Parts: sequence; C-alpha cells; structure tokens
Amino acid sequence: MKPRSFLFLVVTSIVFAATAPLESARRPHYGGALRVEIGAVVHSLDPAVASSNSEEAAAKQQIDALIYDHRNSDGTFAGTAGSGPFRIAEWEPAQRVVLAANGDYRGGRPFLDSVEIQMGRAPHDRVLDLALGKADFAEIPPEQARHAAESGVRVSTSQPDELLALVFLPGRPMAEDVRVRQALARSLDRGAIVNFLLQKEGEPAGGLLPQWSSGTAFLFSTAADAPGAKALASQIAHPPKILLGYDSADGLEQTVAERIIVDAQEAGIGITLAAQAAPGGAPGNSSAAAASVDAMLIRWHMPSPNPRDALATFLKVYGPVAGLDPAPLPDAASPEQRYVRESAVVSGNRIIPLVWLPQVYGLSARVRDWKTPAPGDGWPLADVWLEGDAP
Amino acid sequence: MTFRSKLFVVFALALLVSVGLIAAGVTVVTRRAFAELNRQHTDALVAQFQREFERQEAEVAHRVQAIADGEGTVRMAIALSQPQADVSTYVNDARGVAQSHQLDFLDFDGSDGAIISSAEWPARFGYKITWVTQPQDWAALGSFLTKVDTQDGPALGLMAVSTVRVGDNDLYVVGGQRLGKEFLGSLVLPAGMRALLYLNMDPAFQAANLLDPSGPVADADRFAPIINQEREHPGEQTFKISWTADAASAEMFHALPLMGRQNDLLGVLLVGSSQHDAVTLERRILLLALAVVGMGLLFGVLLSWWVAARVTRPVRKLAEGARKVSQGNWGARVDVRGSNEIGQLARAFNRMTGQLTEQRERLIQAERVAAWRELARRLAHELKNPLFPLQTTVENLQRAKESNSGQFEEVFRESTGILLSEIENLKSITGRFSDFAKMPQPELASVNLNDVVRGAVKVFEAQFNAVGRPPITPELHLDENLPVIQADAALLHRAIENLILNAMDAMPAGGVLMLRTTREAGEVHLEISDTGAGLTSEECERLFTPYYTTKQHGTGLGLAIVQSVVSDHGGRISVESEASVGTTFHIHLPAKPPPMTIPISAPAAAPHDREGA
Repeated sequence: MKPRSFLFLVVTSIVFAATAPLESARRPHYGGALRVEIGAVVHSLDPAVASSNSEEAAAKQQIDALIYDHRNSDGTFAGTAGSGPFRIAEWEPAQRVVLAANGDYRGGRPFLDSVEIQMGRAPHDRVLDLALGKADFAEIPPEQARHAAESGVRVSTSQPDELLALVFLPGRPMAEDVRVRQALARSLDRGAIVNFLLQKEGEPAGGLLPQWSSGTAFLFSTAADAPGAKALASQIAHPPKILLGYDSADGLEQTVAERIIVDAQEAGIGITLAAQAAPGGAPGNSSAAAASVDAMLIRWHMPSPNPRDALATFLKVYGPVAGLDPAPLPDAASPEQRYVRESAVVSGNRIIPLVWLPQVYGLSARVRDWKTPAPGDGWPLADVWLEGDAP
Repeated sequence: MTFRSKLFVVFALALLVSVGLIAAGVTVVTRRAFAELNRQHTDALVAQFQREFERQEAEVAHRVQAIADGEGTVRMAIALSQPQADVSTYVNDARGVAQSHQLDFLDFDGSDGAIISSAEWPARFGYKITWVTQPQDWAALGSFLTKVDTQDGPALGLMAVSTVRVGDNDLYVVGGQRLGKEFLGSLVLPAGMRALLYLNMDPAFQAANLLDPSGPVADADRFAPIINQEREHPGEQTFKISWTADAASAEMFHALPLMGRQNDLLGVLLVGSSQHDAVTLERRILLLALAVVGMGLLFGVLLSWWVAARVTRPVRKLAEGARKVSQGNWGARVDVRGSNEIGQLARAFNRMTGQLTEQRERLIQAERVAAWRELARRLAHELKNPLFPLQTTVENLQRAKESNSGQFEEVFRESTGILLSEIENLKSITGRFSDFAKMPQPELASVNLNDVVRGAVKVFEAQFNAVGRPPITPELHLDENLPVIQADAALLHRAIENLILNAMDAMPAGGVLMLRTTREAGEVHLEISDTGAGLTSEECERLFTPYYTTKQHGTGLGLAIVQSVVSDHGGRISVESEASVGTTFHIHLPAKPPPMTIPISAPAAAPHDREGA
C-alpha cells in the first residue's frame, strides 16, 4: 500500500468514525418521552362528558386523536380508548396525562415511549420552557412566534387556518345600521394587525376562506379606507358607539380589539370593549354570552382544508350568530357558487374577517420528523422521534 | 317708667352692647385669623404643589433623557435608520421600558411622528403624533403639561421629549407621568384640607373629570360654575361652596389653573379648606358670648338694680318730699346727705319747704286777721242796718211815752212791730252765718242729678211767674241717660237753689233760666245759665270768695256754700260770663267721688262782704 493510499484510508476511516454516530442519531429510533405543554385544562377524557369551553374541547380532541384509532366522517373517533398509537398511562384530571406507546397499534408502534402532556401552562411559560429545554412540544400563540424564535425555540408554522373575525349580532341597533358596519369594516387596518400585533405571523383576511384553500381570497379587499370610513360615519346622525365583546381569556383578541378601537376612533366611531368569559361548548353558544354587546370577536379553526366544507361549516356555525341567510351551501357547490356565497356574506359586513392565523408549534431541538398537521388533523406524534434518546 | 327703671335699662343696654361688641369683635378677629390661617395653608399647599410639580418635571425630564440615552433606544434608533427597517419588532418595547423607568406614558415615535411603540396605548402604533415633529428645542423646554391620548381616554400628563438622532432620522422618546389622583395622593395635606384636580379634557364641563385621590368627586356638578369660569378666564381665584344648609359644611376653594405648552388650559387644581373648624369655633365663641351676655345681664340686672337704687334713693326721697308738699304737707323734709348735686338739691329743697312753711304761717296769720276784720266789718254792716231802725223805734217809743200822748198805744204797736221785724232780720242774719259755719259733711247715696234739678226748679215755680215781676222762663235740658252718682241730695239741692236764686237776682227784668245735664267721662255735668247782664272778669275771679257779694243785701255766702258743696263731693265749679249775654255756672261731679279727705285747715271762716251775682 502506497503511503498516499494509506493516508487516504486513514482519513476515510477517521471521517467514517466521526460521522457514524451522527448518522445513527439521525435515524428514527424508539424511545424517549415527549414533554408536551398545553394551555387548556382537560377535566375528563370521557367522550360522553362535554368540554367546558372550546379550548378544552380542542385539547381533548388532540388527545383523542392520539388514543383512538381513527376519526369518523362526523368527527367522532372510532374504536376504543387505547386503540390509537398511544394508551392512557396516567391521568390527573386538569393537570397532566401520560400516554404510553401502544405496541399493538395497527399503524405500528410509535417511536416515542410516552407522551407526557402538562395542562394549564400559560403561553409565556410554554415559550420559556421550550427555550430552557423543559418541554419538547407546545402550541405557541402566533403573536409570540417571533419572540419564541428569537429565544432559540424551533418554530413550526402551519398554513393560516384560523380566522379572527368581528361578528355583528342581529337585533342590536348598531348592528342593524349598514353604514355603521361598512364604516367600521373600512376603518380597519388589517395590515397593522398582522405586522405589529401578530408580528407578521398571519395574513390579512378579506374573505371567509384563506387564499391557500380557496384561491379566491385575493378578490376580497383587505386595505383600510380611513377617509371612506370617516365619510360614512359622518353621515350617521348620532356618532355610532359600538359595544364590542371579546374573550377575556384570549390575549390576542384583547389586543386586536384595542387596535380596532384606535382605527374606529379615527373614523369617528366609538367603541367600548366588553370582556366576556370564554364561551363554552359550540361557538354558537357565544351569542348567548354576548347578548348584551353589539358585536364580538370570534376565532374559527378551519375544520377541513376543503374550501366548500370549511365554508359550509362556518355558515352553519356563525350564520345564525350573525343573522345570515340560513340556506345551507349545496353539497355540490361549484367554486363560483362558493365564492358568490362567501362574497354575499362578506359584503353584508355582518361578519368582518380580520386576519388569518397560523397554528404555531414550538419544538425543542431534539424533536425529529415533525410534520405540521393540516386543518382538522391531530398532532402527528406517532411519527415523531426524539434525538438523543437511543434505545 | 321710673328714674330707677330708666337707669337700670341704660345700665343693662350698656352692658349688653358692650358684651355684644366684645363678642362681635372676638368673632371678627377669629374669623379673620381663620381666614388668614386658611390662606396660609392654601398658599403652603399651592407652594407644595408647585414644588412637587417642579420636582416631577425634573424627574420626568431626567427619566425620558435616560431612556433616550439607553442602549436599547440607541439600538432602536440605529435599526430604524436602516432602509426597510422593521418597526414591528419594537411594538411592545415601550411598555416594558416605561415600567422600568416608572413612567406612566412612553411613546417611541419615528421621524414622521408615527408611533412605533406606546406604553399607554399599545394598539395605537402607526398613528402619527404631529406636534412632536414640530421644530422645538425639547431639551430646553424640559417638562410640560399636555393632553395624552390613552386607551381609557384622554389624560393629563407631565411630559418630556427627548430626541435620538441617527443620520437624518430622529427617534422621539415621549414620556411622562400622569397627573391625576395618584399625583393628588402624593400631596401632603393638613387636616381639613383637600386637593382636587379637574382634567380639562372635554369641550364642556364633565363631572367625571374632577378627581380627588380616591377618584371622581361626588357632587362634582357644584364645581361646574367655577370650572367654566376658569375655562373662560384662566386665573387664580377663590370661592366658597356650601354643601348643606349648615354653614359648617362650607369649603373655601382656591383654584389654580394648569396651563399647557401652548398656554391652553389643561387642568385646574382646587385646594379646598373646610370651614368646619372655623364655623365651630365661631359658634362656640358666639355661645360663650351669649353665655357671658346672659351671665352679664343677670349680674348686670342685680348690680344695676342695686346701683340704680343707691343712685336714685336721694332722688326718690326728693320726689317723695315733693309729693308730700304737693299734698299740702309743706313741712316735709328730705333726709339726704352728701355734698354732691343731689345733696345740694336736697338741702335746697329743705330750705324751700322751710321757707314755704314760714310763709304759709305768716300768710295764714295775715289772712286770719284779714278774715276776722272782714267778718267784723260784715257783722258790723249787717247788724248796723237793723240796729238803726231798732234804735230809732225805741227812741220814738221813748218820746211817745214821755210825751204821754194818746198816740202811745198806736206808736207802741207800730214800734213793737218794727222791733220784732228787725229782730227777725237780725236772727236771719245770724242764722245764715250759723248755717255757713255749720256746713255738714255730705252723706253719700245713689242720686239721680236730674231729680235733684227738677226738685230745685219746682221750689221756684211760683216765683218764676210771680205777680209784679217780669217772668222768668225755666228751660230744662236733662240727659235721661245720666248715670246715678254718689252724692248727698240735700246738699246738692241747696247748692242748686243758691245758683237759681242768684240767676233770678241776675234777671230782674226776666229772662230764661236754662239748666242742662250731660254725661262726660266718669262724671256728670250740670250747666245753669241765665240771660242777665253778666259779670266782669274781676267779678268772676272773686265770685266764690266767702262774703264777697255784688248785691245790696247779700251775705256773700251763697256761692261759697255752693263751692263748698261741690268741693266736698270731689267736683269742681267754674263760671263763664259775657256782658249783656248772661252767666253760666258749670258743675262737674264725679260719678264716684274720691274718698273723703279732711280738708286742711284754712281760713274757711274768713268773711267777705260780697256774694256771687
């Protein structure tokens, strides 16, 4: 062997020896406990027990997606608890739940040995725990995504699939005056909300469906028209004063509502905020809680990436709240029909879309093979594995 | 009112006025002292406010400058000076910086005045603050008052502006402290004082904008007039508010306008001082004064009564002495010692009464002598007239006897007849004198004067129309409602007879005799008039003097008797006469005569030679 060949062999061996552990670490392997932190508090995992609010219902749905085999077309989960990739190992109501890997899962045993879900963690604490390595996975409010990323947290952002909108409640004098609704809609600076409040996480919303889903969202204007709003408001005999309700537990709703006050005030519309307790159960119930307000802020998760299904669901849920045309969207509605219906809702200004919010997930550095779920899908934790937790 | 009572009233009034003046003086002095104290407290509080204001001005300016000089701000300014700078990164910075520098307000504004980050209104990013970009040496200006827009509405802020310049770009740091209830709470107020702050943020007065350290002030509408006045004409002024009808509830307020950078009225500081202590003290002084007045009056009553008694005792003795003199006791004397004017007066009074007594004694002696002389003259005159015929008759009888003529019997019969006649005349004369001397005291009984008058007239009816003399026509005008009087009917009858006789004598040629009775206040009036020749004024004056008469054969006792009767009944008699018209006598008798008094000794028996006409 020539010295040159020997040298090549030594170098190659050294390089192989140095890279071999790295490659083995990047390969999926079993083991490890994924530490998850959520903001919601789940009081019961019994499917028969209704959740006290929408946040709890959503968290419960995520847990159900991990312990049930699959979801039916009506949204319910099939099989028995534990038929999914994980089984409930420990359960402390309203505090924590530990899910253990289900070796009998028909899709194959998940890589993780367990998933420990800590409940009731505040957004700031979740970001802090992620930055400090005390948590592996957590949902992060979109407005804190930038801060989390600057703190060293891996951030995974979905397509914007959550609509933040303002809904006028029927029967209220302010809600029934179309000039008031139009003036307020024109006064809103959605770009400022996205850029400043959401720290550029999200999109201005002009329609009821996001651009990535409908392909027609660009047809709806999202630009502010302060002079037009002012001119409209000045036509009203008495300066309009709107009582705007928002979820007192939702920081984003509060800051957006406060910004709406600023924009509306510039147009000559007075707005008073009314913090309200988080509505429980279905979104439609929120109307009862907000019976005393003229309008309210809502957040709506797209249940499906399918634009027709999403719009139909939206109209089904919020049509009665806003006093819209109760006619359902036909099952075989064409994109044109869907657009016309969507445009009709938006032009009435009874529902004023504000911004589309993405789902933002914070991940620790050791989480691997995370795929951002699509609207309606649960967390794909069965495919996730943890780096450094070799079997 | 007696002299003593007057003196007492004067003393009491003097005391009352003195105590009242002292109380009023003390009240005024106290009120002024409290007003001065309140003014000093108010001045001190205003000075404290100004010191606190200046301290906060310096503090705010210092903190804002510290923020501008801070590393984070400089980095922000550098980053924002870059092309395509992302201002959204800093949207939440102001709140944290404001908290760390203990500022209520903090804005980071870009070169165009657009808000990059706002602590007091985070959602207001992007909107422009135009005044901050105006040319102004902010460092030289220091802190200033200005209206600050916040999420909860406009507020009053003590603000400062500092500029961080990077290249051609300015980053404005606008920060400050809220001037509100917290600021009021930082003021140390004396007891009974309070500080209020009106935030002049609205076009018209708003009650909710008037604050005290705990928040909006109750009954703030009461301040509307003064606030509106300040809005129209800013300036320091003082006013009072009475919260209830009780004066102790009132408060004095000193208004201090708070002007902004452009000399606009942004607020009004109201320094109030309760009038409770002053009014309470004033009331106590008043109560004390009233108590002193009461005590003083009581003491004054006793003292002035005693003093008045001492002072007026000699005067009362003098008055008593004078009263005794007026009642005829001319020998009354006053026992007053001392060398003052009262003593001198008393001594003069005693000398006067002594002289009066002596003069009266001399007068009595003189009148008594004169009376006896007059009586002797009248007796001599009266007796001389019948004595002369007696003497002549006896001498005729003696001559007839000595002549022994046959006519003796006839002369004897005529002479004895004349003698008997003249003796009868002498008896009549002595009888009248005897009657006058024996005038009895009246025996009072209920008498109708009209009946007495009618009885007296009836006695003379035959003589009125007697043959051989001109007729006299009696006319009676008697008041039938005349009250019954207490009188002696016989004596009155006798007096009226005398007056009728006089009237008949006054009308030798006949005439009209008019008798009229009328009632007057508490007495009855009898008027007897004739149509005779009348009397002279001198005759009228002497008419009732005993033994004065204008008749040839009168005794001068008739009208004296009438006057005596009337006087004994407590009445009075007067006469008025006019020549060629007639004479009228007026008798006034009391319905109830006064208690009988024994008339003082007088020369009642002093005779006069004439009787009334």
